[in-house]
Amino acid sequence: MTDTALSVEGLTVHFGGLVAVSDVDFVVREGEIASLIGPNGAGKTTAFNVITGFLQASAGSVRYRGASLDGLRPNDVADLGVVRTFQKTSLFSGLSVIDNMLIGLHRRGRGRVWEILLALPRIKAEERDLRMQAAAILEQVGLSHRGGELASDLPYGEQRLLEVAIALAARPSLLLLDEPASGMNPSETQDFMNRVSAIRDQGTTIFLVEHDMRVVMGISDRVIVLNQGIILAEGTPEEIRRHPEVIRAYLGGAAADA
Amino acid sequence: MRHAVTAAWVVFLFSIPLWMTDLYILHILISAGIFTIAAISLNLLLGYTGQLSLGHVAFFGIGAYTSALVSLGFDLELTDSYTFVFAPWPVWIAFIAGIAAAGLFGWLIGKIAFKVRGAYFVIVTISFAEVVRLISLNWVDLTEGPMALNNIPPFGVAIPGLWEQTFYQKLPNYYLILVVAIVCYIVVRRLVRSRAGRAMIGLRENEALASSVGVDVTRYLVLATVISAAMAGAAGGLYTHYIRIVDPDIFLFIYTVTMVIMVVTGGKGTTAGPVVGGLLFGILPEVLREFASPEVQWVIYGVFMIAVVFFLPQGIVPAVTSWWKARFAAPEGGLGTPEGAR
Ligand SMILES: Nc1ncnc2c1ncn2[C@@H]1O[C@H](COP(=O)(O)OP(=O)(O)O)[C@@H](O)[C@H]1O
Ligand SMILES: [Mg+2]
Repeated sequence: MTDTALSVEGLTVHFGGLVAVSDVDFVVREGEIASLIGPNGAGKTTAFNVITGFLQASAGSVRYRGASLDGLRPNDVADLGVVRTFQKTSLFSGLSVIDNMLIGLHRRGRGRVWEILLALPRIKAEERDLRMQAAAILEQVGLSHRGGELASDLPYGEQRLLEVAIALAARPSLLLLDEPASGMNPSETQDFMNRVSAIRDQGTTIFLVEHDMRVVMGISDRVIVLNQGIILAEGTPEEIRRHPEVIRAYLGGAAADA
Repeated sequence: MRHAVTAAWVVFLFSIPLWMTDLYILHILISAGIFTIAAISLNLLLGYTGQLSLGHVAFFGIGAYTSALVSLGFDLELTDSYTFVFAPWPVWIAFIAGIAAAGLFGWLIGKIAFKVRGAYFVIVTISFAEVVRLISLNWVDLTEGPMALNNIPPFGVAIPGLWEQTFYQKLPNYYLILVVAIVCYIVVRRLVRSRAGRAMIGLRENEALASSVGVDVTRYLVLATVISAAMAGAAGGLYTHYIRIVDPDIFLFIYTVTMVIMVVTGGKGTTAGPVVGGLLFGILPEVLREFASPEVQWVIYGVFMIAVVFFLPQGIVPAVTSWWKARFAAPEGGLGTPEGAR
């Protein structure tokens, strides 16, 4: 269980003169829930963007299960099993929930264009199979009753669940979640985190970004604290809670209550 | 129900020449049919990938010119001492060559445009169409420039040695165009309801999200451009062997605009939209010509178009569909609601 899944080495990202991420090293291990926390502007989303191919690093390298992710496009990264969600709610909002799922299931389809144009029987069988998979994942996140609705018509909390469902459809071995519970109330957040735990229990490694430390303490195996582009601390939730640097730099009184 | 409506439509379209003997009207239908094919092809790009090709007529024109040139043959004085002679080929092969040439240029545009989206895609396509128009105008050795390519042979079918028919008349052209239109319609329909089409829709709806779940958006944009261009090339080939003359005016921007109007008013991103829009705006100007002076025609045309866009911003087909659903469909039935599944 302690095999390294994702490793980030010497990661540095400049935006013009601004150093968003500065010479950062960390790993995510197979099967764990690792959390990346830090105040707004710490560089968490930037790190996600580099890992998933949305942004080119200024320096450093990212490897997943031995393969380099440097210079890959987002879809290539997804092909290696690394799939992310976005901080700002990101759906195919003009489509039904089912159609959102079917696009998410793209990687699970095999049909080639000529087979599609000839409407071969195996294409029809595949379509049926994909719809069943979509239904199963919706069931898993508790959205079965919403299949026919327009994604943009869902309440906010369910939209955030749908984002996770779309990402799961791509069958990730490592799922990166960027502040997935932001905007949820405490009970919704708790429910959401339980679902995240369940996803991990089914074998998907989770890398979670949050800015609220209390949210992640309960479910994380390991926590990495980022502050102004630099890693401040890393360890179990217990260690982080007691870490003097962390308390001083940004947690303040919050850590004591948590 | 759906199948019955579709079948009724097809039977109706096939039956028209049986009871409609007015050749002028048949001509209008043929032109509208050619435009409808072009609109169907544009819809694949505009309606499904969300990219506006404002140079779409270039693919139409490339199909038309290629098919004309391959069927006529041509010679090019490459150097003083060497002239390249291209012998005429049968019309069907020329037609296929036109489709292939248009598809090839579609691939090129798709590749060039692989990183440009939105306004930049529009600019790339407009520029491309303008370049192709200037070539057709100025490469007189090949295209005859403004003098036009004349006497282009029509389509024909033959059983060697026994029987043959050359499509000089409107009737066979009508059926040929109808068949090609149906093929194009089916191609688009199958595509957009498949994982390939959903990848295109993903690009339209949210490119970042689509690529994050593994959709190679560039690949599917290129695929859409190639298929779309090839179909527009087919429309161009049908046009050229029906009208039997082709000149650089085929590349006029107004034709692209007409296609866009057809797609947008009919309903972009729906399979039936470009057919409805294509027939409506293919036939309407001709009907107006019967009743009104040219200025009045354009005013009516314009007002009608604005009215459609204003009152039915999604287009006619989506408006009718949702009206129909609201009026007749059973209340949302949870599991297995047919529309959600389709
Ligand atoms: N595309 C960008 N261009 C310029 N600056 C950026 C860009 N993305 C992020 N930044 C800056 O980089 C820093 C880190 O941002 P981000 O990674 O979004 O932080 P976090 O996700 O931890 O809140 C911030 O100062 C932010 O303003
Ligand atoms: Mg962020």
